[in-house]
Order: sequence, then structure tokens, then C-alpha cells
Amino acid sequence: MTHGSLIPKILVTKIGFDGHDRGSRVVAAALRDAGMEVIYTPPWQEIAAVVKLAMEEDVDVIGISSLATDHLIVPKLMVALRSAGLGDVGVIVGGIVPDREEQVLLEAGVARVFHPGSAMADIADFVHGLAERVRARRIAA
Amino acid sequence: MNKPIVSQLLSTPAAHREWEQEYAATIGTDKNVINRSGVAIEPLYTERDWSAAEHAGELGLPGQPPYTRGIYATMHRGRTWTQRQLIGMGTPAEYNERLMEVLAQGATAVSLIPCNSVFRGYDMDESHIELLGTCGTVVNTADHMDRALQGVDLARTSCAMNDPSPFTLLAFMLATARRRGTDWRQISGTSNQSDYLSHYVANHMFFRIALPGARRILADHIAFCNQHVPKWNPMSVVGQHMQQAGANPAEAVAFTLSSAIQNAQDCIARGMDPDDFLPRFTFFFDISVSFFEEIAKFRAARRIWARVARDRLGAKDPRSWRFKFHGQTSGVDLTRQQPLNNIARVTVQAMAGILGGLQSLHTDAYDEALSVPSADGARIAVATQNILREEAHLTDVIDPLGGSFYIEKLTDDMQAEIERIVKIVDDAGGMYQAVESGLVQRMIGESARKFQRRIDDAEQTVVGVNAYQVEEDSSARPINPRPNRDAMQTHLDSFKAFKAQRSQAAAQGALDALVRAAGDPRDNVFGRVVEAAEAGCTHGEICHTLRRELGFGHVQAIV
Amino acid sequence: MKREPDLHQPDWVQDVLAGQRGAIARVLSQVERGERESAKVAAALAPHLGRAHVLGITGVPGAGKSTLVHALLGELLARGQRIAVVAVDPSSPITGGAVLGDRVRMGEHGAHADVFIRSVASRGHLGGLARTTATMIDVLDAAGFDSIIVETVGAGQSEVEIMRVADTRLVACPPGLGDNVQALKAGILEIADVLVVTKSDLPGGEPTARDLRDMLHLRAPGHNGSWVVPVINTSATTGAGVKDAFDAVERHADSAGRGRRLQQRPKAAPHEDIASRVKRLATADPFVRWLGITCTEAAPGAATVTMTLAAHHLNFNGTCHGGVTFALADTAFGLASNSHGRVAAGIDAHITYQQAAAEGDTLTARAFEVSRSKRIAVYRVDVTRGDAAPVSSFTGTVYVTQRTTP
Repeated sequence: MTHGSLIPKILVTKIGFDGHDRGSRVVAAALRDAGMEVIYTPPWQEIAAVVKLAMEEDVDVIGISSLATDHLIVPKLMVALRSAGLGDVGVIVGGIVPDREEQVLLEAGVARVFHPGSAMADIADFVHGLAERVRARRIAA
Repeated sequence: MNKPIVSQLLSTPAAHREWEQEYAATIGTDKNVINRSGVAIEPLYTERDWSAAEHAGELGLPGQPPYTRGIYATMHRGRTWTQRQLIGMGTPAEYNERLMEVLAQGATAVSLIPCNSVFRGYDMDESHIELLGTCGTVVNTADHMDRALQGVDLARTSCAMNDPSPFTLLAFMLATARRRGTDWRQISGTSNQSDYLSHYVANHMFFRIALPGARRILADHIAFCNQHVPKWNPMSVVGQHMQQAGANPAEAVAFTLSSAIQNAQDCIARGMDPDDFLPRFTFFFDISVSFFEEIAKFRAARRIWARVARDRLGAKDPRSWRFKFHGQTSGVDLTRQQPLNNIARVTVQAMAGILGGLQSLHTDAYDEALSVPSADGARIAVATQNILREEAHLTDVIDPLGGSFYIEKLTDDMQAEIERIVKIVDDAGGMYQAVESGLVQRMIGESARKFQRRIDDAEQTVVGVNAYQVEEDSSARPINPRPNRDAMQTHLDSFKAFKAQRSQAAAQGALDALVRAAGDPRDNVFGRVVEAAEAGCTHGEICHTLRRELGFGHVQAIV
Repeated sequence: MKREPDLHQPDWVQDVLAGQRGAIARVLSQVERGERESAKVAAALAPHLGRAHVLGITGVPGAGKSTLVHALLGELLARGQRIAVVAVDPSSPITGGAVLGDRVRMGEHGAHADVFIRSVASRGHLGGLARTTATMIDVLDAAGFDSIIVETVGAGQSEVEIMRVADTRLVACPPGLGDNVQALKAGILEIADVLVVTKSDLPGGEPTARDLRDMLHLRAPGHNGSWVVPVINTSATTGAGVKDAFDAVERHADSAGRGRRLQQRPKAAPHEDIASRVKRLATADPFVRWLGITCTEAAPGAATVTMTLAAHHLNFNGTCHGGVTFALADTAFGLASNSHGRVAAGIDAHITYQQAAAEGDTLTARAFEVSRSKRIAVYRVDVTRGDAAPVSSFTGTVYVTQRTTP
């Protein structure tokens, strides 16, 4: 916990069908231990529910965990966020994403894709930096 | 432990001291080794740690209680382990094509993984089409099951279905069998992973119906199969999910045995005789790359279960005391970096399972960490098993590591650790209460965090990830196939047509009977599920109906 | 990556009053950050408060509060209400971070269009959290929600402070051999309006209900007026008792009034000191203004007032009318006895007259506290003329109520 007075608010969730959530729980704990406030949900959240939650909780970053193929509908999530006026919220994806599908995600607006074997400290640092940028853009306006 | 008698020692105390001194002098900085279950591991084991003279009774012989050396007298030499590869592909037609290939390559049994949409209890017309068939086969009706198993003789081929409560896939299979004129009494196989407690704890995707409802349906399922499908194993108690979620090997066994005890007690409470259902209890475990620990874990589990079945559950038939299990090589140990390394890992895991005495084995493909395995990956996985059996001759000797000082001491240590955790669960009121209160989940979460820290701190090496990394050319990574969208669209269209053309009255009548059964404890819910399958009801319709009546299965989000 | 157009609008008050979810969420964030705007937010929304019923729910960890909230949400939605939930979770004292998990335990209702859920981390504040939560509730009240549920965990002093922001306070207690009842501290039990035994189908449910009723008898009477605190057994698994709990909350809301929390709140800004407040009270008193009385000094339990005698203050003898002297002394008495912030009602007063005063004299009345207990206080007031000659001596007794002065 070294980053001053900003306390980032992060949503860690899973959309689609897969239910393997060990990774997302370990990441949620790591983000908490790095001094962030984490809203953690079980898997199978509907896209509309994620957008509603992100709006009500005014989150800075959404972290999607995808170990099977649920990343294939992340572009739909990005569209839904923009339609709701939440296009400035940072989105990262963690899990198993083949390389050419990673490109599709980045083009859809995902800030970064983390692959298996990523160190928790790296994820926490990136998320914190992303939250700071998101917050700065909002306050500046 | 009593000190061994000097005359029986293989090495004199003087010789032993000499070794200790030379070891200390030449080792330099020694390390403390602790295995994943927390058991301390020494550099050398001798008869001082475990002596055959003292422990022959504990060890026994294969096929004799407590079965430490194996549940059968002949083990793999008599009948090799079943090579059962899990497969699931897009549409039933595509699945059938891959199934025929795998059977031709030497697999001896069938296994079906359904699509994640099926696991979640949805029909394909309720799901994002992008996600259909990406991880398994989309089976929503008895017709789909018939097509998927085309050309398979159900009376002769053992089938395992990954099929959580309310076990619609088995229902579709029974409907298919009746259609083909196959007697249900001939059908063999397993309701794979039917253990709702492990789903609630660690495989939430399979958890569809609230705990009390799931508990009831499982007991109904066991009773129905006992009576109508006697060669079927309705109870598959699962340790894999918990080990994949982060439980260490001893915890995985302890929680699994506790689940088995809970499920057995539930059946006994309904008036069933343990000897009627325990012989059809099977276990399903993950095999990690911690080679010796896994072998000892399985030997200890056999020993503990034999005593639990006889002394705690009151079973008198020795067949009830036998710990039968399927092992799956653990995907958690596989890496995305340098994926071909995974072939070596899977080989080690498979060996541990074989030397640990499993009854059936699934080996992962090397690209499992990247996505749904490729055809090459699946082929190498089967070849690995063939090589171990026929080139390395791992089946020629039963329990070849028996009598090893290390293996026997480690078996004892793992047994002590497993029993310690079983007691924690007992003190919490049994597995159902321990799971409902979140105790088990918290213990597993803590183990998962500890393991991640060991990797992050580089105490535990993962080749290619935190050590021995290389720059990898991403174009060399295999491109995994996505389902054929056109084939899936055709599948979806014909499904909609089927729903429009079936007898709505028959389907609705069957769903109404299901509703009545849910409210009547004397009726058998699974029996009504089978009738609904035969009446043309879909998977989603059956699941939604039971979720409405018995409660939606919500899981706790415990961090 | 395209930058999205920024949607922050200066006219946020209108957006909040219109119930616009994005605006509500952003204003709540500003309040949470503790920025100077937070005080502006509270001030700007003050005229729009009092419509929502605020229900506070707390209890020891594991009491099943979120499950209870889930059930209550179902009841409220079935009655067509719009509900906001503020779920407070503790922050780690070491890292400052938190996992806010209450929201998901409220199940599928979180996705309902008429439900708005906001998770708040305690961030280690004590008093600060209560103020922040109170302002957040004001925002949601102004936004038009019919009911606002504040859920927090624990039974200590911080939870007591947070529960004060509620109109109706519900404390949940799981069954357990008396230990769980003991874990409820005296503070939280004193302010509870409804007690709920959760998971009452488990063994220990009825004994726990009995223990709670016993503890209620030991409570000081009169806290809630005539409201009798019910102890209700509920079970989420069977659904039993949820309607009873809901009805009890409704009955309390009717009897205590919605917006009760606002009446208890001092209308003064938090930093106003006693002297300023007492002087303000004096200027707010129509009779005092009409008589031309000014409060020159005030302190806890003390007040000094003055007036200059004019022609219309005299009697037929040409000296100061006794009623005027009485009024001056009584004014000092009233200000001194109300200086502590609680409304004090005079129940007895005596005066003696020593010397006369004439037109043009400046009379000064000084009141000081002779004694004060929880309910009764006695004051002496000395009235003097400009030359310090004693004009009058006054003694008054007040009864101290639970209401807060304006």
C-alpha cells in the first residue's frame, strides 16, 4: 500500500458460463492486500448486471476472469459499457486467451490481457495505475 | 514408534552415523523440504523410518483389507486401467466423429463432456451463440444423445457422463437405450462427478440446485440406479475440484472421504443398506506432478476408506470396502509457456496415478492450458498411456513401490494428515454443515493463496514461468479450433424445429409430474427426470423446473 | 483507443433529484472521498429530504444479515417500492484494502431496475464513517428511493454510530448458546427497534430469543417512546418470520415517523460551537425579539441577556413592569437550560423582586446552572441594573427531554 490517497475501486467478475473461479479469487485477495477496494462476484454474471453494478458502485476498473472461452463475449460487454456512458471504465481480462483473440480484445478497448503465470504484484501495479488514469480523467472534466 | 531391534537393522548404527556425517559435510546448505500437504520430507529413508517387520499388517497384500497395495489381487496385470479420455466437441455429430477416432486409437471407454451452457442448465436457444460448443458438446435432448453415441454398443461399452444433478444426460442415455432396445440392466458406466458437495465448494459451474434439493436428488438417483441400472455407478465422489481450487493433496482426500461419508449416511438414513450402494461408490481425483506425494496419497486413501466403510458405515461386504477411483492428470500444473513441456508433466502425473493403483485414467493434452485440446494433443495423451503400459511395462508388477521405506513412511504421514482434517470436518458437524458454513471453502482458499505465494516467491519452481524462461515465438503456439459456427447454427435450428414439432402435451405432462415429485418426498425425482427425457422434454426445461421447485443453486463468493 | 465524452454535468442536483443512476453514483463517490464538496452536497440536498424510510441492519458476523436483506428486498419490491442499499464492509487495518462481498449475497435482486446497491468500505474511520454514511443516505433520499437499507456488520461503537442514521434499527442475532447474545454490546441493544433471531430453525433459536427478551427488560425505559421492541424468529431456509420482520419494521416506521433521523440531527452545521448556537436560538425566539432582549454571552449551562427599558416596559407606577423582569430572567433561564442541545421544558419558576428599575436602565440577567441530572436541572438567574444593584432573583427548574434543540 504505497500509492497515496486514491483508493481504487475494482470489480472482479466472470461472465459467460465457466465457473472456475480460483484465479479470480486469488486476484481479488491480492488486490485487497495491495490496498484496493474490490467488489467480488460469483461467476455467470449477465452483461447487463455487470454494467449496472459498475455504474452503481462507480468502479474504476473491471477485471474479467476467463479460463475457458467466455472472453469471446467481452466485446459485447465493451459495447454495453459504452452505451451506458461507462466507456471510460478500465477493463482488463485475465486467463486463457489465444493470441489472435487477445488482439480482438485489445481492439475492442480492453486495456490489457494477463495470461496464466502472471505475478500478482504485476497485476496489482497495473490495475492501480489504470485506476489512477481513469480517475484523473474523470476529475479533470 | 518403537525402535527397531538392532539385529533386524539393515545398517548398523555406526554405518548410519557415518552416512549422516558425510552427508552433512558434503551437502553444503541443505534445504527444508515440505511437500504440498505440509509433510516434512527427509533426504533419506531407512528401516528406522518404516520397517516391514513391524508394519506388515498395515501393508497387507493386494485384494486384502486394508488394500494398501491395491483393491484387487491382480490389479493392472490382470486388467489394465480403463483408458477413458474426456472429450467434448461442438455438435453431437462432431463429437461422434472424434469419439470414433479415439476408440480406434485404443481408448476402451466413452466419456462425454457437455458444453458449459449445459452445465449451467440452459438450452442452446437461451445462450450466447459465441459460447456454444466451445468447451463441450451441446446435448439438450434424447435425440442429441442418440446421435452423439451413434455406433456405440451401450450394452458393451462403459460410458461416463460429466453429469451433475439432476442427471439429465444419463436420462437421455437411458431414453436412447430404450429406443434401441438395449436392456437397462446391461448399461455400465458412471455419473461422473455426481457429488454436489464438491460442486458447491469448488466447481460452481456444476452446482445448479440448492443444497437441500441437490442432497435429495442424489439419494433418489442412487436408489433408482440400484434398482433399474445395477451396473451403473451413480455416485462419483470428487476430490479433483477441490484440489484444482487449491486444496493440497491431503485436504483433497480428507474432504472427499468426508463427502463420501456424508452421502453414505444420507442413504443409510433413507433405509438403504450400505452393502447395497457402497460397492457402486467411485472416487474421482486429480493427480498433481508431486510424484511420490500422489502415490502415497492414494495408498493412504485406500487404507482409510476400508476402515471407514467397515467400522463407521457398517458395511459387511468386502466389495463395499474397496476404494475405486478414476484419476485425471491435473491441468493446474500445466503451463502456457513452452507447452510441449506439459507432455513431460502429464507423463509424471500419469505414472503417479498408475503406481498409486487407479482404476481408470485420463491424461491431459499438452495444450490443455491454451484452450480446448487439439487432435494431436489428444492423440499424444492416449499414446502416453500406451507407452507407460506397453513399453515401460508399468503393469507387470503390482504395487512395485510397496515396501519402499520412503513410500511406506510417506503413506503413513499422509494418512495421519488426512485423518486430522477429517476430524476437523467431523467436529464441524459433518461435510454438509462444514460446507454450508463455508469452513471448507475458507481452508481451500488459504491453501490456494499459500501455494500462489510460494510460486510468486520462487520457492516453488514452475519451469518456463518463474524459472528457465525463454523468449517464445507466439506463432509457434498452436491455434486452437473454435466450433464450426455453421454447424452450430444448423444444430440450433433443428433444435427449435424439434421443440415445435414434439407433442407439447406429453412434454408438459412430464414436467408437471416432475413438479409433483419435487414436492413429494416419497416419489423419486430422478425417475421422473428419466420419464421427462423420454417424453421429449429438453435439458433446460427439466433444470428450470427443478430449480423453481427446489431452489436455485447459489454459491457463496468467499475470498 | 477513443476517449469517451465526459458526462459530468454541473447541474448534478437536478440529475440526482431525477433519480439518474450515474449521477447518484458519482455524487456518492464524492461524498466518500470526503472532499469539501461533500458538505456542499449535504447542504444542497437538505430541502429534499424526509421522504425515504431508512432501515439500519446490523449484527455480529455470520448472523445472516445479507440473507435477511435479500428477503426484505423481495417484500419491498413486491410492494412496488424503489429501494437503495448501502452495504458497509470492514477495511483491512493493515493494507487499507477491502473485499466488498455483501452485495452479491443479496442475490438476483441486485439486477432489478428498482434496486440500487452501493458497497462502502469502512476505511478504518469511526465517527467519520457515520457522517459519510449519513450524507450518502441523504443523497439516496433526495434521489427518490422509498426505502433505504443500511447494512453493516458488528455490534460495537462504530456500528452504534452508523445505526443512528436510521429511522428504524434492526439488529440480527444468530442462535448460539448465549455467546452470540453476549457479543451484542449494550450500546447496540439500547438503540435497537426490532430484534431478529436468524436461522431460528437451528437448535438454540428459541433460547436465543428468550435471552434477547431478558436483555430488553434490563434496558432503560423510555428510549423509544411507547414502542415495544419485538423479538422475531426468522429462517431464510424455510422463509418463516420474514413477513413478521417486515411488518414490524413497517409498524415502527408508522409509529416513529419516516425521517425521524432528521429530527434528531442538530440542524446546526457540525462545527458550530455552543455560544453561537445559543445566541442563534435567542434571535430565533419571536417573543425575545419583540421585547428587545439580546443574548450577549453563552456557555454550557450559562447565558447572559440584556435589554434597555423603554416607556412601554413600565407599569402604572412608572417603574419596570414585574412581568418584563420575569421575562428577562426567564429568557436567560431558557437559553442556559437549552444550551446543552436537548430541549428543556420549564416546569417551575419563582422570582423575588429587590429593587425597582426605571426607563432607560439597562437590565442584565445572568443564568447559571445549580444542578443537572439526566432529567432535571435547576438554574439561578440574577438580574442587575446598570449600576450593579440587584433588581431580581429567579430560580427555575426544567425537565430535560430527548429531543434536540433546533
